[in-house]
Amino acid sequence: MSIWADAATIVTATLRGDIDFQVVNAYRSEAAWLVFGPLTLLGGYLVYRLYRAVPWLEQNLERTIVVWSYIVMAAIIFFGVIQRFLLSGQPAWSTTIPPLIFMIMAWYGCSFNVRLRTHLSFNEFRTNFSPTGQIAVLTLDAALWLGFCIIVVTTVSREVVRAYSNFQIVLGTDNIMQWWFLLTVPVAFMMMAGRVLENLFEDWGNYRNGDPVVKQAIIGGDV
Amino acid sequence: MEDSTIITLISLGVTFLFMLGTPVLLVIFYWVVGCSFVIGLPLDNTGAEMLNVFNKGFALLAMPLFILTGDLINKSGIARRLSDFAYSCLGWLRGGLAMAAIGACGLFAAISGSNSATTATIGSMLHPEMVKGGYDERFAAATAAAGGTVGIIIPPSIIFIVYGFLMNLPISELFVAGIIPGILMVLGMMVTCFIICTINGWGFLIKLSFMRVLKTAIGAWLGFFAIGLVLWGIYTGKFSPTEAAGVTVGFCIIVGLISYPLNKMMGAALDAPIEEKSISSMFVVEGFTGFDIPSIVVRSAQITGILAPLIAVSVVMQQVLSAMGAQETIGAFVTSMGGYYPVLFTSMAMVFVAGMILESLPVTIILAPILAPIAASVGVDPIHFSVIFLVGASIGFITPPYGLNLYVASGVTGVPYFRLLRYSSMYLISLLAVWILVALTPELALWLLPAR
Repeated sequence: MSIWADAATIVTATLRGDIDFQVVNAYRSEAAWLVFGPLTLLGGYLVYRLYRAVPWLEQNLERTIVVWSYIVMAAIIFFGVIQRFLLSGQPAWSTTIPPLIFMIMAWYGCSFNVRLRTHLSFNEFRTNFSPTGQIAVLTLDAALWLGFCIIVVTTVSREVVRAYSNFQIVLGTDNIMQWWFLLTVPVAFMMMAGRVLENLFEDWGNYRNGDPVVKQAIIGGDV
Repeated sequence: MEDSTIITLISLGVTFLFMLGTPVLLVIFYWVVGCSFVIGLPLDNTGAEMLNVFNKGFALLAMPLFILTGDLINKSGIARRLSDFAYSCLGWLRGGLAMAAIGACGLFAAISGSNSATTATIGSMLHPEMVKGGYDERFAAATAAAGGTVGIIIPPSIIFIVYGFLMNLPISELFVAGIIPGILMVLGMMVTCFIICTINGWGFLIKLSFMRVLKTAIGAWLGFFAIGLVLWGIYTGKFSPTEAAGVTVGFCIIVGLISYPLNKMMGAALDAPIEEKSISSMFVVEGFTGFDIPSIVVRSAQITGILAPLIAVSVVMQQVLSAMGAQETIGAFVTSMGGYYPVLFTSMAMVFVAGMILESLPVTIILAPILAPIAASVGVDPIHFSVIFLVGASIGFITPPYGLNLYVASGVTGVPYFRLLRYSSMYLISLLAVWILVALTPELALWLLPAR
């Protein structure tokens, strides 16, 4: 099939929820880049617009996801130990679901840190650049982040479809599908793309207004 | 152009990005992407690993939980009580408050397992007091940065978890092996601290009072209980490290929620001097309400959101290095050094240099699978080597240009990064001395281990 035909297969079959062997192959082809590249950028832009329209979501959406996934993950492990000591045993899923929740928390936390600009970096030279130099490196960062998002959304979507087509079940459960969890990762990266655009527009706004462009971010500061 | 030339150019390119201030996560990721293209490794491997790192094991879960523990003991006031106890014991010595900060780092590290949490907590808590107490602000900040290095050596430790996870070694044994080296690091830094403070005449001395030590020890009982709970659970095999972390989180939340109303009922003044506090009031910490929990958790999530993705891309980087045959090349180089000591010291030099430019997690994930088998082949005990490796990785937290603790200490104290280096390099000397001692004396790591 041509790359365009594969791209059409990916879009239509995914929207219909009709994933078969042919669709999985289409996902594996180069057409996936054609679909998920623009989709990531579009998704990121829509997330950015959503955050602008509803500031509450901008402040709280990722926060709520990471806080609840953290709490649920810790609670499952804590009560698993209590059950083992006080009752006869603990449910098998108490060791298989928490890693999946950790995965969700990690990638939404990663997106949250993009907004806070707290990912580890060596900023000593950058802070001494002229404003034009600073906006140039910040724009470069944004481009690199967007590339990161596109690559992960595309490659992880292939994993999600594979898990879906293989009916992969979370170990220790009867009917909890793995793809339910895996699907959250491409979504997290689309939200990350939204954060990247948000930062980029903010940086250019600061640059045009003559405000400081690179600001000191504090890890573990008030969030 | 040959593959090796292209890979060299890619490596130089990402190093340039690093110097420009591009986040380390992206620097590693784009190195992986570039090299994957060159050696023909599909990018799908990268995407799969972004999921698999988390799905593959339960052990890695201990990392976010121990980070959360650190924030919970800080918010509940347990960390403050531990530092009060350390100050009561050491305040009569010249530089006592600074030594207490290092001691408090050691105690904090025994409940949490994160270097940055240790530095941030102790730095923000004791830096203002040290400056008020007549210490140089650069020295005070450097003390918090250096003290934080033990955060990952005294068990529980995030980096030991990652090391055990990678090398398939029992994490509980790694934890136990880290106890004595961690204590030695604390003692080594205290000696440095004492010498610097004696030369400069810094710090006000307080009288060593049995009553004060007793009161603060009682005040810190919840901290000691948490330390005991973690060590007992792991040492006896009652819990896995991940479960110990989960239990400690549960313990800290329960303690925090119970203590808050009790503390209010007792009307204890938080800022009152120790002498004015009653013994009964020392039994209860400040605690927190259920409404405080989200703000505590979100701080931990921030740190986890930095470290966990870094682990994921570092794992892929390690795989790419393996696919390129770096394992064989480095292995041949290290092995060519000769026997036991040359291999040991070459490995240590590699860890030290890597620690200067990379965060300890990538250093561990990339170098441990290469160096550990070689060290084992010349007769270095795997557990002993893990301790040598990780003490070296922890020293990387205060080695410029990329010393994470220096950044964290600079962030929480407001002292510019480069101004910290003068005093952090003095602590570096003592840490290097301890590192060499640990490397030359396997018993220091292996003595506490159950008979194997």
